[in-house]
Amino acid sequence: MSENNATRRRLMQGALATIGLNGIAPLLAPGIFSGIARAAAASAAANDRILVVLEMSGGNDGLNTVVPYGDDAYYRLRPAIGIREKQLRKLDAMHGLNPGMSGFERLWKDGQLAIVHGCGYDNPSFSHFTSMAYWHTATPNSGADTGWFGRLADRMSPQPKPNFLINVDAAQSLAVTSRVHTPVVFDDPEKFMREGLQQQRALLDQVPDAANGNASRAFLNDVARSARDASSLVRQAWHAYKSPVDYGINPLGLNKVAACIAASLPTRLYYTAYRNNAFDTHVQQVDLHQRLLTYTADAVLAFLRDMERLGQADRVAVLAFSEFGRRAKENASLGTDHGTANVMFFAGKGVRGGHYGERSSLAALDAGDNLVHTADFRRSYATAIDGWLRLGASQDVLRGRFQPFDIFA
Amino acid sequence: MKGVLGLALIGALLLAPGQPVMAASGWAGDLTPLPQAEWNVRRAAHLLERAGFGGTPEQVAELAALSPREAVRRLVYFEGAPASTLAPFDQSDIFDAALDAFPPSRPATTDLAKAKGEAIGVKVKPAGNRPIQPVANKFFYWLRASRLETHRINYWWANRMLASPRPFEEKMALFWHGHFATTEEKVRDYRKMLAQLELFQREGRGNFRTLLVGVAQDPAMLAFLDAGINVKGAPNENFAREIMELFSMGVGNYSEQDIREAARAFTGWNFQGLAFHVDADRHDDAEKTVLGRSGRFDGVDVIDIILQQPVTAEYIAGKLYAFFVRSDPDPGLKKKLGDLLRANRYEIAPFMEAVLLSKDFHAPESVATHIKSPVELIVSTYRKLGVKEMPGVPDFNEVSSALGQRLLYPPTVAGWAGGRSWVTPGLLILRGNFALDVVFPDISFLPEDRYPSYSTGNEIRAVHERIRAGLDMTSATRPVDKDGGMDMMAASSRNVDRDEDFNTRFASYRGWQMAIERVKPIPRTIARLDLTRMVIGAGCKTALDAVRHFEGRFLSVPLDDKSRNAIAEFLGKELGTSDLLAAETYAEDALRLTLHLIMSRPEYQLG
Repeated sequence: MSENNATRRRLMQGALATIGLNGIAPLLAPGIFSGIARAAAASAAANDRILVVLEMSGGNDGLNTVVPYGDDAYYRLRPAIGIREKQLRKLDAMHGLNPGMSGFERLWKDGQLAIVHGCGYDNPSFSHFTSMAYWHTATPNSGADTGWFGRLADRMSPQPKPNFLINVDAAQSLAVTSRVHTPVVFDDPEKFMREGLQQQRALLDQVPDAANGNASRAFLNDVARSARDASSLVRQAWHAYKSPVDYGINPLGLNKVAACIAASLPTRLYYTAYRNNAFDTHVQQVDLHQRLLTYTADAVLAFLRDMERLGQADRVAVLAFSEFGRRAKENASLGTDHGTANVMFFAGKGVRGGHYGERSSLAALDAGDNLVHTADFRRSYATAIDGWLRLGASQDVLRGRFQPFDIFA
Repeated sequence: MKGVLGLALIGALLLAPGQPVMAASGWAGDLTPLPQAEWNVRRAAHLLERAGFGGTPEQVAELAALSPREAVRRLVYFEGAPASTLAPFDQSDIFDAALDAFPPSRPATTDLAKAKGEAIGVKVKPAGNRPIQPVANKFFYWLRASRLETHRINYWWANRMLASPRPFEEKMALFWHGHFATTEEKVRDYRKMLAQLELFQREGRGNFRTLLVGVAQDPAMLAFLDAGINVKGAPNENFAREIMELFSMGVGNYSEQDIREAARAFTGWNFQGLAFHVDADRHDDAEKTVLGRSGRFDGVDVIDIILQQPVTAEYIAGKLYAFFVRSDPDPGLKKKLGDLLRANRYEIAPFMEAVLLSKDFHAPESVATHIKSPVELIVSTYRKLGVKEMPGVPDFNEVSSALGQRLLYPPTVAGWAGGRSWVTPGLLILRGNFALDVVFPDISFLPEDRYPSYSTGNEIRAVHERIRAGLDMTSATRPVDKDGGMDMMAASSRNVDRDEDFNTRFASYRGWQMAIERVKPIPRTIARLDLTRMVIGAGCKTALDAVRHFEGRFLSVPLDDKSRNAIAEFLGKELGTSDLLAAETYAEDALRLTLHLIMSRPEYQLG
């Protein structure tokens, strides 16, 4: 649906332009755009690295993503849905990638893919919502109301900074909820525009201050301010963006991230996610799961190629995760139930490709046929914070000490 | 124009600037009834907003003229409310019995046809080279037809929210739909979705046990949670987990062992057609231990055990409260609410009566702090405008989806997160753009129930054009190349249509044609507004009066003086005079621009 509207509006804009009535241009605020682009250029000398997080919502089946085909126990646990050796994209004598992941195979061969094995946490929750909240807040059982990505933004810029944190999605993730910043959340850049007549513009852009002690009202005022500050920038970025790179069937918002980076937005943190618990594969999972992994691998590879094309590859790293893996033993419906420990991925030019951490043993499952994690998932977050962004702030952001992996040179 | 002055006063009464916004605080957490002396137009508007979807000043005045208890009972028990004359859902003739056993996927359907020579009512040749294309066509036909019909159900439902004299019935159904969130995306059968919605409308104000058992035995829910694969010897935990975690107790109040045991009690539960059915051979009749109790339980026994847990009443009461009142009851209040629901033996109506009548409901913490959901925003906009029928343009489904709430397609089994998650910078802008579409119709509107426009829409239209131009099926369905050629083309785009027996892209196209031939169209009427008559009829004489009327009619909080004056100045400038009466014959467009400004504001999101 959104695709169509976008198309429709583009068509309309094209038509308006050809008859010399482009009603869009006067609505933009070019002053803001060039100002921020200048500021971005000025800060480029310092550490200006960008972190992009991709959430594989629904509980990705890690065992059928990075398959331990060298371990016979895998085929004993998964006689029906285990992927046979000859179908896999082999990485080495133990592991092979799901056949759908040609994009990740390319990255692996180029030394730009790190696989972190055995990530999880103590007393795992099997609820999507609870477990995802743990991954979002990075503080299991704390009931925290801010996300780790939001706290990271607060640490990187303790003063509110427009457009510092972008969440490409229809709804805001808990992960990006911040004390200081109002994240820019949008789904379709084409629709990220207040429509209205020219004479209404000043009042449409006016953001009220009055809240009279009503917290919801104050929140809405903040959102309105963020919308005003971001919308024309993001839309211009999207209109200016044209890429020969094919992101595949589901670009997962990474093309929109690329557009923002191409336009030199001051954004350092981007968050994008699969919708609707896509990876929740309880039933007949093989084809569906492979398809989802193809989308993932296609989109990530395309994004990094796009960064290369734009000369931004040295600045950008991608972190991909899911709220849990799935039960080691397949279920009776050619699917898998909610599980525990899982693989995480880092991709990018700055990544030292290879395996990290320790594979969870298939011979020592817990009482519920689940993998036992070998590393706290927050070690990967710490890797992003301290290894990639070089902040030395992971203990602060994650509210605990977690040893980073040596993934970034 | 009778009552002109009275209506103008209503605007002023609702939101007199400078007047204290609310009565004394200290009411938060107080569940005793609101005294008659505290009852006024403002509180009546608050009640109608929350227990229904708001209304015109006339409708608010009617409630305000009653006592607080009468007003609440009129909404909750329909006392004194006229019976609804709205028709039941008018189904399109799209279903045939062969679709009842609809396979889980396109490959499963075509494989079945290849193996058996027949699938979903299409009989291909008994052996040899079987033509599979018609099977694939029919598979896509039903996917599309069921989806389009579900969109018609949404229209029917939205229209009830808008036009029913008993809006609380629909508001409760909306609550339960979010609570027992089931999506047609997975169920793939509009008939089951309709039956579930009718269950919520029928039982939504009744007893929670009746409802919970009804939902646990509801074909849409059983299909949604894969109940059919939960069988003796191989229990599937999905169903039992969601019943405990999301539908009754909340996470953390049971063990993983409880889930596994409860799953066994639900084994064999399934549906046949549109009826609940227990497959006795697949039911595990042995002893189970759930939440400390042991016995040869079936699903209903487990539900009764769940209902005995104090935490269940607290969880359900807390969710109702968050939906109707505010999102953050403190633990003390939560406990009180749980006690109240249990004291009412899980009867929803008396519980809601007590909540909606309470001082707490009218405390500053509760009033105008609710962020309207997309459906509340759309429906209340039309209700407050006095529109009597859900307009076809803009499309209700298109707008509500874009704003984050596509009915009968909740994002996950947990429903919609609600509260602040309803609004992001992107969504706030879209809410304002919806208001613009309400006051000035979008002439580029395309009806999505005729014109293929989902993410596959471009593809379907491209296939359509090429087939008609006489291209062979393979050429007509080839994906459009990108500028970069194969090297830049993603694997997923290269690997489509490897199956040679039939063409999926063609099936998707043909299925769309078959669906729109059978599914009835949605009428594309546009709301006819007359804001000039609205404000002049209400006694407004100046631009500022008109702004004040809009403010009182549409907003739950007053504007700040600066904003109000700026908007009034805008209207005056558009009219060329601040004298509204002098501008009566040409004021309409200026009033619409003004209303769009007000509806685009952060304050308009509060209800």
